[in-house]
Amino acid sequence: MDNNKFVEVKNLRKVYDNGHEAIKNVSFSVKKGDLVCLLGPSGCGKTTILNILAGLLNPTSGEILFDGKSVVNVEPKDRHIGYVFQNYALYPHMTVLQNVMFPLIVGKNKKSKPEAQKIAEKYMELTQITELADQKPGNLSGGQQQRVAIARALVQEPKILLMDEPLSNLDARLRLKIREEIRSLVKSVGITTLFVTHDQEEALSIGDKIILFNDGVIQQDDLGENFYLEPNNYFVANFVGNPVIDNFKVTKTDDELQGTDFTIKLADLDESRFKRSIPNGEYLLSVRPENIVPASDGILNVEVDDVELIGRERILKFTHDDSQARSLISLEVPVNHGDQVNLKMRLDRVFLFTPDGERVY
Amino acid sequence: MKTNQKKAWLYLAPTIIFVTLFSIYPILRAFGMSFQSGSLIDLTWTGFNNYKYIFNDPEFWLAIKNTLLYAVISVPVGLAISIMLAWIIFDKVKHKALFETTFFMPYVTSTIAIGIVFRYIFNGDYGMLNFLLRAVHLPAPDWIDDPAMSLTTIIIFGIWSSLAFNIVILMGALRNIDPNFYTIADMYGASGKDKFWRITMPQLVPTIAFLLTMNIIGAFKIYTSVYALFNGAAGVGNSGTTAVFYIYNKFQTVGTPGVAMAATVVLFLIILFATFLQRKMMKKIGEN
Repeated sequence: MDNNKFVEVKNLRKVYDNGHEAIKNVSFSVKKGDLVCLLGPSGCGKTTILNILAGLLNPTSGEILFDGKSVVNVEPKDRHIGYVFQNYALYPHMTVLQNVMFPLIVGKNKKSKPEAQKIAEKYMELTQITELADQKPGNLSGGQQQRVAIARALVQEPKILLMDEPLSNLDARLRLKIREEIRSLVKSVGITTLFVTHDQEEALSIGDKIILFNDGVIQQDDLGENFYLEPNNYFVANFVGNPVIDNFKVTKTDDELQGTDFTIKLADLDESRFKRSIPNGEYLLSVRPENIVPASDGILNVEVDDVELIGRERILKFTHDDSQARSLISLEVPVNHGDQVNLKMRLDRVFLFTPDGERVY
Repeated sequence: MKTNQKKAWLYLAPTIIFVTLFSIYPILRAFGMSFQSGSLIDLTWTGFNNYKYIFNDPEFWLAIKNTLLYAVISVPVGLAISIMLAWIIFDKVKHKALFETTFFMPYVTSTIAIGIVFRYIFNGDYGMLNFLLRAVHLPAPDWIDDPAMSLTTIIIFGIWSSLAFNIVILMGALRNIDPNFYTIADMYGASGKDKFWRITMPQLVPTIAFLLTMNIIGAFKIYTSVYALFNGAAGVGNSGTTAVFYIYNKFQTVGTPGVAMAATVVLFLIILFATFLQRKMMKKIGEN
């Protein structure tokens, strides 16, 4: 038994009947007790993976191991998983207590009613819904329904909890509160959790680690901060970060990166950050908005199109190469709409990508 | 406010006029006529005489008895079979649309036409039903011409013809149940029985309540199927007479509209009471 690989997915592929290849050779593992976020834009295959893990879909090929044992041919009910649906799927004709008890009083291993009720009450206390026991789901708020769904998913004491966008039906403020609750709840129960979301902020805030998908392929499987500081490729750099990263087209010559209206000497870049030696040609230079700021010795002169206030910082917007770019500046820096500014990049923090998205610096 | 109200009346007018003319007026008129005697063009007040007449008429009691028996047997049995068939089609059958269309066909076909076909099927000597019954050595009664069998025949036909509408409505209700309910139940290892009794049936309660109301009202108004099965009569020696048959007979054939209207009022009250009763019942079931 390897606790570092409590859940292990190897070379997973899923091709739907219509020929669409939703998952292309995906491999990853999850540590016991971790809360892992499967992140990605809609249609990236993250929910498909969750459904394959749950046994609701069969993989086309590949291997899934729970606690070292293959579950590919195991029925969903025998996989020891709890599943929370996006719309919770609570039974509207049952009370909260009946909903939470449901998994315990059906099937082969059903328990007696008093026994089931005792277990249900334990989890209802944990999710703080004890006083709602006799209510029907229709009378509950979104957050309360969410808790009922989680309590129901936990009563069978599964080894793995799968959650499919569980916060997407909640309003913004509640989402912040519930996501913290979910994290502390699954941590207190100690259950290994896979959490699907399309919201990077959500993933960064609650995940022990994040697996970012796009187009059925893992783009990066890493700790949250690394998506920001060391993105694997152009997609990751652009998907993670708010405000989004700035991209500039550059041409590499023997000793320079030549952009539109600016030039960077190769000697000014950090030699050790190059992933490999690269030929001359077209590249994409990406800079996080906080790493391109006004300075007297700036290399790029632009006219400010707009200034947006976002709390203690401001986003300075400008047009370059016919597309909008941003600079994140402190509230105190006196820049206004229409000003001409010189922008300086922190060259030890910029990224360089090939036209097909591979990171080379 | 004032102009608003005027406009509201204007928009409501067509409905109000139609409802008054075609629903409220006939009810009141029927109620009034039940206290009158004579022919339609020469009605005179006669008090409760019409009611006295029908309550002393054994044929009226037979009609009410037949109607009640028909409603009490054909509705629950028909509904139970419909639920079973709908669930089987929904759960097990692949080409649902084809089966649904097939089942719905009787509903869009005229009862008279189907009734005539059933006359042949039910025929005591050369009917298909008796042919099959004889083949498996079961008694083959004379469905049409034996007075003792009239009501049974009507009930069987009633059950069969109620399936179409019921199944289509039930299929719609089954389709509206969130498929995730079953997915989750599967994940917890629920058996088919668990799923049917704990998820499907409770989810169907509103639909079943609706169908029960519709079916019971329909059952009390049974007329056409009797007419078609027995070639325009109410079975041999009026053995299969029903409330509406009695009303029609008194109104059109005998020519005593007052008596017919008195029977109508009684039938109306029975339907009202039955509907009220079963609404209360369904409410109780819905709460549990």
